[in-house]
Amino acid sequence: MKTIVTFGLFVLVASMALGGMTSNVSAAEDPAIFLKIAKRAQDQIKNQISDDSSDKIKTLFEDGTQQVKLLENSLGSDDISSAKEHFLSAMKIFKEISRHLTTSDGSSNVAAQAESRTAHDSVRNPSNDLQRLQSYVDNLKTIAKKHNALIDFSQIDTLFDDARQQIKDHQFGDALDTIHEIKQIITDINQELREKASKQESQRAKEYAQKYLEQLDRLIENAKKQGISDEIIEKLESARENLSSTDDPRQIIEEIKKIILLKNQFDLTEHDELESRILQVEKTLYKLSKIDGVNLDTISEARDMLQSIKDNLNNGEFETANELLRDLAKQLAEIKNSL
Amino acid sequence: MNPQIVPIHRKESFREDGMLFVRTEGILDTMVNAPLVIAGLIVVALTMPLQTSFSSTRMLDLTLYSDGSAHISAQLDVDPLDPDFEVDLFGTSIDNFVVVGENGFLLSSEIIDDKAMIDTFGSSSITINYDSHDLISKEGRVWTFSLDSPSDYSLLMPKNSIIVGMDALPSSMDLVNDQTKLDLSPGLTEINYIFSATPPTTTPPTTTPPTNDVSTYALIGAPIIAAVTGAIIMIKRKQTKSSPILQTEDIPETKTILNDTEKIFNLRPEMREDDKEIIKFISANGGEALESDLRKKFLQPRTTMWRAVKRLERQGVIEISKKDLQNLVKLKQDLEEEE
Repeated sequence: MKTIVTFGLFVLVASMALGGMTSNVSAAEDPAIFLKIAKRAQDQIKNQISDDSSDKIKTLFEDGTQQVKLLENSLGSDDISSAKEHFLSAMKIFKEISRHLTTSDGSSNVAAQAESRTAHDSVRNPSNDLQRLQSYVDNLKTIAKKHNALIDFSQIDTLFDDARQQIKDHQFGDALDTIHEIKQIITDINQELREKASKQESQRAKEYAQKYLEQLDRLIENAKKQGISDEIIEKLESARENLSSTDDPRQIIEEIKKIILLKNQFDLTEHDELESRILQVEKTLYKLSKIDGVNLDTISEARDMLQSIKDNLNNGEFETANELLRDLAKQLAEIKNSL
Repeated sequence: MNPQIVPIHRKESFREDGMLFVRTEGILDTMVNAPLVIAGLIVVALTMPLQTSFSSTRMLDLTLYSDGSAHISAQLDVDPLDPDFEVDLFGTSIDNFVVVGENGFLLSSEIIDDKAMIDTFGSSSITINYDSHDLISKEGRVWTFSLDSPSDYSLLMPKNSIIVGMDALPSSMDLVNDQTKLDLSPGLTEINYIFSATPPTTTPPTTTPPTNDVSTYALIGAPIIAAVTGAIIMIKRKQTKSSPILQTEDIPETKTILNDTEKIFNLRPEMREDDKEIIKFISANGGEALESDLRKKFLQPRTTMWRAVKRLERQGVIEISKKDLQNLVKLKQDLEEEE
């Protein structure tokens, strides 16, 4: 009987541990893409091999081609695991051939030269720089709008148009100059935006500190209920005082870090972990309630359950709060998956 | 599916005869070992939700450029009780770093080597965008992308690139603007590619069916014929119901519609080709369409279409409203004023 109990518990532990790990594993693969990728690589390599290519390269290519055939056969007979093996083998061989072709003289056929030219041109061509900067500026525009910052992007937009045209006309030198100009303007915009953002950040830091103080109050109250030593409570109250007396974002971070240290030192983190998870579950619930097709009764029940968790937490019933929270998180994940 | 909120953990009342369970010969051993295993069980149970709740990557998208740089876009869940958060970056050579909180506000950050310290101030999720120059190396003509990813991610390969080697199994593959997009799993991945003068083709792989007897063909053929017949009947029925999408597709394109989209594309030259197709469809549909219809039309998963719609909303091209609990996507009338 002992063996059965131990084995049963072992299975439970293992399944919980593995369950957590496998929950992040991706969706099922589409095996047809293996053949698509492998064939494309095979065609490409074939174009690069000429009569002058070394025997080693030719033999390797035959091996690769054989692996692609086996991959195709495996797919035809729905043998996915062997298809995966043949795919990886084929790609390994094609990689080796590509490396050999790069170093050997046998790669100097027309196709290879064309590829080389394409890659070479793309390095000199600053269109990638421009693309990256455009993406960055797009982000800055969105942020500026969010912060209601009246930043003039018209000049930089014009420069982007100019640079695009210069690239189109193969005037890469001019395009690089324009990109340099764009970068300078971005620095100014960035500066302006960060100044605006820092004002709002100060407000957010205060709001965050306020929430943290409320949470700290609940922690102190619970600590008192649980009969935790006066010395620890005094330290927490002193830290609370320090946090409430500052408005500076950096100072707020410093004070909160001190409080976190204090909590870790006296093993008071359970309350924090629960509070954090409640906040996250609350946000998930809010997001779910905004999604089309979600049953509103289900959401309402979830809200009631969340309130019950909060009540348990406030009453120092950590175990119950933890269990209920885990249940609720699972239920929300199920709702999410069902959509 | 409509799951109900039901607590999973319920306290079961033990019946008297349940005690029989411990009256065994090995009672002493059981009592010594069981608490240890139970303790392990509790530890795993307590840590499991924390592993998945905090600091997990919710979304990770990488775009590779032909000059060997990469753009990284990541959305991470963070602890809302922590004042700041440290992120591991992919490389030390970082450009155009920008991080926003869950409400789209710019967050302050400091980059030290391959880490960024972000002042989150209570945000439960953050979105990071940056460019890295450390993920791709080049040997001769062969470019190598390598990444040890903590989560699932999507990878958009450079234009005109052909994969010639890879040691991972992608879960899916798409073509986006002639660029190969792969979905990959967590862990170390190395992909080798070269540049070709011709873009990758969309031709589906031609799998050679295994040699089968007549009965096997009949077994496969019958459901296909049934499915095709069913599909034809469904299409016929749909046509008679005159759905708004089909209706608009049948309407000859007017010059105004064409001009409208052209105007939009002129004002937003950076717009992606696939996004342009969405705009063309909405325009042809009378300037508005349900997000679900867009998904059906472009055969895109919910998240992909949601991202595309959000992207267009950020560009100020469309606006999203609710109609019968669904997202209605409308072309904006005041596009010029927006810029």
